[in-house]
Amino acid sequence: MLQTLALSKQFGATRALDAVSLTVEPGEIYCLLGANGAGKTTLVNVFLNFVDPSDGQALVDGLDVTREPLATKQRLAYIPEQVMLYGALSGLENLRYFAALATGRQAARAELLGLLAQAGLDATAADRRVSTYSKGMRQKVGIAIALAKNAKALLLDEPTSGLDPKAAAEFAQLLRDARDRGVAVLTTTHDLFHAKQNGTRIGIMRAGRLVAELRSEELSHADLEALYLEHMK
Amino acid sequence: MARRELTELWRDGRLLLAGGLMLLLLATAFAVGWQQQRAIDGERQAAQALDYDAWIAQDERHPHDAAHQGMHAFKPLPPTAIVDPGITPYVGSTIWLQAHRQSELRFRPAQDATGLQRFGNLSVAWVLQVLGPLLVIVLGFNAFAGEREQGTLRLTSSLGVRPRQLLAGKALALAAALAACLLPALLLAAGALAMQGGWDAVLRLGLLALGYALYLGIAVLGVLAVSALVPSTRLALVVLLALWIGGVTLAPRVASDLAREVHPSPSRQAFNQQMDDELEQAYRRAWRAQLGTDKRWGAELPLNRWGIALKIDDEAGYAVADQHFSRLWDSFARQQRLQEWAGLAVPLLALRGWSMGVAGTDFAAHRHFSVAAEAQRRLMQDLISHDLVEHADPLGDRHFSYQAGKNLWARVPRFHYHPIGAAAALRDNVASLFVLGLALAAAAVLAGWAVGVRKP
Amino acid sequence: MRRTFRNFSRVVAHERRLLWADRSLWAVCGLLALLLGFGLHNGLAEVKAREQVLAAIQASQPQREAALADRLQRVLAGVETPDPFANPADPASVGSGMGARSALLPYEAMAPLALGQSDMQPNYYRVTYRSRASFMDDTELESPWHLLSGPFDPLFVIVYLLPLAVLGFSWNLLSAEREQGTLKLLLSQPLTALTLVAGKAALRAGALLGTTFVVLAGVLLAARPELRSAAGAAALAWALGLVAAYALFWLALAVAVNALGRSSAFNALALLAAWVLLVLVLPVLMNLAVQAASPAPSRIELATRTRLAAVEGLNRYSKLLAADYRYVAQPEVLQPQDGKIEVASRRRAQYLVGRDTDREIEALTERFDTQLAGQQALVARWSWLSPALVASESLTALAGTGSERYLQFRRQVGRFHGEWKAFFEPRLLEGRAINPDDLRAMPRFAWVEPPRAQLRAGLALAALQLLLPVLALAAWAAWRLRRLRVV
Repeated sequence: MLQTLALSKQFGATRALDAVSLTVEPGEIYCLLGANGAGKTTLVNVFLNFVDPSDGQALVDGLDVTREPLATKQRLAYIPEQVMLYGALSGLENLRYFAALATGRQAARAELLGLLAQAGLDATAADRRVSTYSKGMRQKVGIAIALAKNAKALLLDEPTSGLDPKAAAEFAQLLRDARDRGVAVLTTTHDLFHAKQNGTRIGIMRAGRLVAELRSEELSHADLEALYLEHMK
Repeated sequence: MARRELTELWRDGRLLLAGGLMLLLLATAFAVGWQQQRAIDGERQAAQALDYDAWIAQDERHPHDAAHQGMHAFKPLPPTAIVDPGITPYVGSTIWLQAHRQSELRFRPAQDATGLQRFGNLSVAWVLQVLGPLLVIVLGFNAFAGEREQGTLRLTSSLGVRPRQLLAGKALALAAALAACLLPALLLAAGALAMQGGWDAVLRLGLLALGYALYLGIAVLGVLAVSALVPSTRLALVVLLALWIGGVTLAPRVASDLAREVHPSPSRQAFNQQMDDELEQAYRRAWRAQLGTDKRWGAELPLNRWGIALKIDDEAGYAVADQHFSRLWDSFARQQRLQEWAGLAVPLLALRGWSMGVAGTDFAAHRHFSVAAEAQRRLMQDLISHDLVEHADPLGDRHFSYQAGKNLWARVPRFHYHPIGAAAALRDNVASLFVLGLALAAAAVLAGWAVGVRKP
Repeated sequence: MRRTFRNFSRVVAHERRLLWADRSLWAVCGLLALLLGFGLHNGLAEVKAREQVLAAIQASQPQREAALADRLQRVLAGVETPDPFANPADPASVGSGMGARSALLPYEAMAPLALGQSDMQPNYYRVTYRSRASFMDDTELESPWHLLSGPFDPLFVIVYLLPLAVLGFSWNLLSAEREQGTLKLLLSQPLTALTLVAGKAALRAGALLGTTFVVLAGVLLAARPELRSAAGAAALAWALGLVAAYALFWLALAVAVNALGRSSAFNALALLAAWVLLVLVLPVLMNLAVQAASPAPSRIELATRTRLAAVEGLNRYSKLLAADYRYVAQPEVLQPQDGKIEVASRRRAQYLVGRDTDREIEALTERFDTQLAGQQALVARWSWLSPALVASESLTALAGTGSERYLQFRRQVGRFHGEWKAFFEPRLLEGRAINPDDLRAMPRFAWVEPPRAQLRAGLALAALQLLLPVLALAAWAAWRLRRLRVV
């Protein structure tokens, strides 16, 4: 579903991605671990066609992202680390706009409220201006947008950073629901616990290279930590 | 502190780029103005001399015909017009002094130009008036707001520096930056003007420099005040630009239109009509009083009174013409004064008045020349009518066979025009300077208050 | 394709909601409407006052002519003794002042839009057989300070302030989205950057142009009934089209700068620099260049040569001038006999001096006209450099207050002057008295509007000079947006 083939990206002298090849199948949650600057975000940006690869390919549902940007974006849903919305509008209005752009059709108010409820946002908050929202509430709108899209693949950038444990747990549940629906999920994260707990497969990146890849059931939490620290030396 | 500011400005390239561009424009403007002023003034002086020579050298003819041929007066272009050409494109340069009627200066350069002329002429004054404040804004908009955003303001004030000291330091730095850009140009200009016009021109240049220094000082303090008051650099820039655009593009036009409504001027047609009517009445009155009849050139008026009649006509007409032209010119002057007082809010208006007045290219200078030219015309007329009364009238019916020659022509003196001196120009325009000074004081007070308002 | 269009309209609707909530739509459009309204008020007031002057002249003409015809009747009937210098039977009196006719140039329907040269060039001349120099060198009366400042008319608002409104709306079109952080979410949807930018630009264009059109068209149609005809509507359509093209140029520029993908601060500075350069500095520099490339002939030379020609004339006709007026000794000379009248030799001489002077300097005065036409052509060619100049010149031409139309007027008045002289010269030189038929047959000035085709060609060129850069900027922006930096 989501696939990179020897993907490389060079920013001047620095090699942000170095021949990364990974695959995320439908119904899988792939957690990408690594330090800041390891290239995780760059990888996500390549899938979104925000940066052009220097070498190699990134494929979404078999389509090359640089050659079919619109088609691939249709099949992808993206939730950034910081979900920024239009502060002057309400959560519902923001959802209506992004959902319309995402799905190509205008959704009814009831449907949009349903999506927000599904994402865990209080119905009373839906009509308040986004400038009054907390980070968690904004992320829920982001989730609602992704849900509205009903995409085959889901990209998440540091989704649990800055969330309290309750919100993180709710979020994890949503990911599992998506996985069960057959969506291919790729998340980048620092959170080893969350990766072991929810991820199907785990990848470790360092300096642009994918240095380890394993199934999460193969290791315990402690072993995962040890392995991670080993690779970070 | 000022020195550090200055280094910063230099380093981030603003001073070099913006100041450099400014200097380039100023140099171009000065060069062009220099070349034009020399060409134009040279041509006028030559033409004036030739004109008088032609007057003297003319054949023998009836003096009244010579008066119809008349003389020309060409308005000289003062050397300071290089710096500020003022209203020169919009007023005439040539007047034909002829019999019977006071005329106006003709041939405005703008008449011979297309609509492009209305965008303005490149001159030192234009660059400084319009782009000068922009330069100050570019250099100083983030003086306080930027430091606040960076956090260095907090650092500085924690060292015990008082806000006023900070203000003084930054103001000094800005002023020094401006001086670095403008002083060399000023010195060069002084040298050039000294060559062209002597001490009078240099004195005027000094007065001009004073006015522009006040103007740019207002800009410096205003920019610093806004930068201190406004929370972010972006907003500071927006506010300053809005003020600049309003003050430099909008306000002069609004002020001009409002001044016209308060002190309106008549249309050409109305003016001519009224003056003609009043002249007619004045002539009739004078004739009735002195010749016993008001039938112009009727059968009751034999040719042996032709010269006297002409003289009476002239004298009656002078008063009427003076009254009308004074009224017209006074309405122009009042419009200008009104706008100059508006300079308290929009310093540009006061500066324009000062700049043009001191450079000798304002309406007062034009009026002065018109009056002098008219005096010359009246001199010529009086001499001629006196001559006619003496020599032609006694000839009775053969009045027009009288022909005068070089003796009479030579009695009309060469037209020497002495422009308003620098001292007089200063006196006339001191109100504008006063307004500029007041505005500067107000800006200083505002800036002083503004630095104390916001916490770093 | 359909999807693109749907996305486009969604972006437009969203932007409208955003700017509405933000109050900035209100503020900018409201301010623009206010300024335009003020400009229109000034323009209308000026044109109305000037048209009243023309109307007064027009109205007084028949009265004067009737009075003159009356006096002539009385003189011919022997009831009234004529004044030697105001004798209705004497062609010298009638042609040089008593019968003088005014040549009027009417104001166009669109005149309040751009006052142009009308504050300096007169719309009327009082034509006599005296030399051209006696009546054609006058100008309208206006305070030189006001001429220097310029009027606050709709043209000023359009050329100087409309770009600021456009830029004020669109300087951070794209950069704000990036700096806000919403750009990532937006472009992760199947939406091209081009569609996004197009939608945003379209809304802004619609709002600003809508405001401008409503105010301009509304006020002008209400205040100038002549615009309600087909020709008037066409002129209004041209005006609105040119204004739209000019506004679109600035919008395209803003879009292009945004397409560079730099920060909002950079955009602001770049666009401000563009405004200062294109609207303030470049026209001033071009004025200099045009004056240097096509300088006006010397007016001093004209003045000197005019006087020299007058001197020659005086010398040539000195004998005639030395003759005396005979009406003093023989008052019956003032009455016409058998259609003949003795025209005083001095007056004949004065006419001849004037006529000869005009002939002498004709070539020179023609040079001034040619030069002005040349400058105008140069301006039209070089306007590519500054859209502000294109807009200014084209709207002034449309309003009928451009230098071209006044030049045509002066040419027609010159021709009329020739006709006037041709009518009076034989009467003057042969001593034919004026009779009532002559009064009716005296030439009358009829202004002939220059063919519209030339004006339209000029306007079309102006539109091209505005739209080609728009297209170029838009094409470049579209190309650049493909590689837009999103993060």
